[in-house]
Amino acid sequence: MSSSPSRRTFLKLLSGSILASVAPMRAVADTLLSSDEFFVFIHASGGWDVMLFADPRNEAKGIIMPPSTANTTTTGIRRWVNSPLGDGSSSFSMVQPSGSKIVFGPAIGNLADHYDRITLVNGLAMNTVSHPDGTAFSSTGRHLAGGRSPASSIDTVIANELGVEQLLPSISVAFPSYVAGNINARAMPLKVDAIGSVGKVLTRTPNQEPSATRDAVTVLLTDEARELAKQAYYADAYEGLALQYEALRGMLDGNLKDAFTDASLRTKYPMFNYKGTFQGPRCVNLAFALEAMTRNIARCIGLSFAGFDTHASNYDDHAATQQEMFDALAQLIVQLESTKHPTKNSSTLADHTHILVFSDFCRTPQINLRSGRDHYPNNSAIVLSPKFRSNVCFGSTDPEQLLPSATFKAALGMRAPAPPDLLATFIAAFGVDPTPYMRDGEVIKELLT
Amino acid sequence: MRFEASVLLLMLACSKTPEPTPVVRATSTPVNAIPGHESLREDTTHKEGPRLMVAETYMRSYLAIFGGLSPLDSQAALVGAGATRDNNLFDRWADYLAALGMPDYKSDIDRSAQTNALMVAAFERTGIALCDRAVENDLRGSRPVDQRIVFAFEGGPEVASDTAFATRFDIVHRTFLGYPAELAPTTNRTSKFYNLYKQAKANQTAPDAGRFRLTADEAAWAAVCYALIRHPEFHFY
Repeated sequence: MSSSPSRRTFLKLLSGSILASVAPMRAVADTLLSSDEFFVFIHASGGWDVMLFADPRNEAKGIIMPPSTANTTTTGIRRWVNSPLGDGSSSFSMVQPSGSKIVFGPAIGNLADHYDRITLVNGLAMNTVSHPDGTAFSSTGRHLAGGRSPASSIDTVIANELGVEQLLPSISVAFPSYVAGNINARAMPLKVDAIGSVGKVLTRTPNQEPSATRDAVTVLLTDEARELAKQAYYADAYEGLALQYEALRGMLDGNLKDAFTDASLRTKYPMFNYKGTFQGPRCVNLAFALEAMTRNIARCIGLSFAGFDTHASNYDDHAATQQEMFDALAQLIVQLESTKHPTKNSSTLADHTHILVFSDFCRTPQINLRSGRDHYPNNSAIVLSPKFRSNVCFGSTDPEQLLPSATFKAALGMRAPAPPDLLATFIAAFGVDPTPYMRDGEVIKELLT
Repeated sequence: MRFEASVLLLMLACSKTPEPTPVVRATSTPVNAIPGHESLREDTTHKEGPRLMVAETYMRSYLAIFGGLSPLDSQAALVGAGATRDNNLFDRWADYLAALGMPDYKSDIDRSAQTNALMVAAFERTGIALCDRAVENDLRGSRPVDQRIVFAFEGGPEVASDTAFATRFDIVHRTFLGYPAELAPTTNRTSKFYNLYKQAKANQTAPDAGRFRLTADEAAWAAVCYALIRHPEFHFY
């Protein structure tokens, strides 16, 4: 595009001035705008059972009724090795690959093979057992206020700091993305329900008129929006629209339709298990993430896996549901390790991709009267990032109630870590001051390299 | 004794005519007559940012402007039938609702309050389909003005001069944006759109352009229509 240099200059000036005005601690706003890092945020929707993978329990102790052959379908759970409970049923043997300092449960699947990339955080204090609140708390670090999130989610924050120059700073596929506060218009997440639907939006017929005509229309509209912005008292909406018109030109020029088409992604990345019973269709989202990073078109990609809200006998399949998700994640890591970074020739994508996996909360240690598990105010999270110390498990829960223990040395003394602490740490890992975004979070220095 | 004194006071009070109080009237002063404001202009702009309309409003507007059909009927008309059938031009409204900003409570996706690049792409996708079909309906043959849906001006799509364009453009401008084109706040809007018209016409007849279903004049008016239905003033209020 011939207008590319001026567009970059304009974006730098615009974003630089905004960043410089809202955040005095950022000394050189310009350096924040160029980044070669990629971010994948994954929400395991519904509340996962941490006893099956991150905080494994295989003994009946206190109120804990561990996963066992009496409540879990173990067929197909590859790492499940029976360990008798004494009541006729069997729980599982702990999973600890050679060299791993992390002890997993059997539902971790193939992800256990990548223990050397994993940073596990257990015992996150949630203070909620509501799905919307837990989801918002995990992704923004703040509880909902009147049903609305008072803070931006982690994908929006990272896009705002490191992604505004990217064609698509943040794409959110059924991920809990929130926008609050002073966020650059370009960092607004593109929220879609499925990747396939994006392909249709970008489809243009070749039969009616040439693309040059459509492009001329968009150029005219960009000028109109800019002029309206100059006249407006509050120019943000018009300025944002002008930038989005330009982004549209970039998307259509780059023929991004293929990157967003379900069929083309399945063909290009056949290694994912699209036929999986529980998470198969969602693997397309991981294929999209891989394609978006390879093409260098997106900075943050928010995804969602589902099927974890197992209050009744569907808890039987909870382990299998987790295993499929973690297998898909392991496959993503394998692909990242073998794919060259689009701008850094000597690196692979794995060297510059940062993945955060979280859920709403965890499930109760007790089995309820319907043979399922309900909501519980504890949580775990997985980070896969070169910026984090790997092969590490931080935080813990007490042995009899699965409640968060005070393992984090915070400013006001020992306490359990909470989502805002993890999110603040994630933001700080990239040299960004988390204070304006995470009111309640403190950086967990032990987690950073 | 006290009574007499009170009566005396009352008589004195009633006998005295009060002095008229001078009335101080505030006089209107032009802003630039206020010291220090000689070079400042009065700010009459709105003190509220433009807001995005809810997505249902777009759907209603699309349906109302382009013939008043039901969503399913308009969908069938947009896809076309026979020789005009083109799934690449349009497929189903349902494919675009999320991108247009509608909430999807099934997937827990809330209503979009701000535009984004994907929404802008969806505006273009739907706008192209609506305008192309309107051009085919209104500007082909010799359809009377009162039977036209969008291009309700006298005469065909051919424009011989900028004056002729301005007259026709004003009618379409009023349809989409609700006011005369000459009152547009941006500079030379009519001439900018005339340039777009000429450029679209040239693109359609370029030697390497290929074969298209729309004639050059039709494509030119379609481009004008795209620009109006995707205009910032169409989206914000």
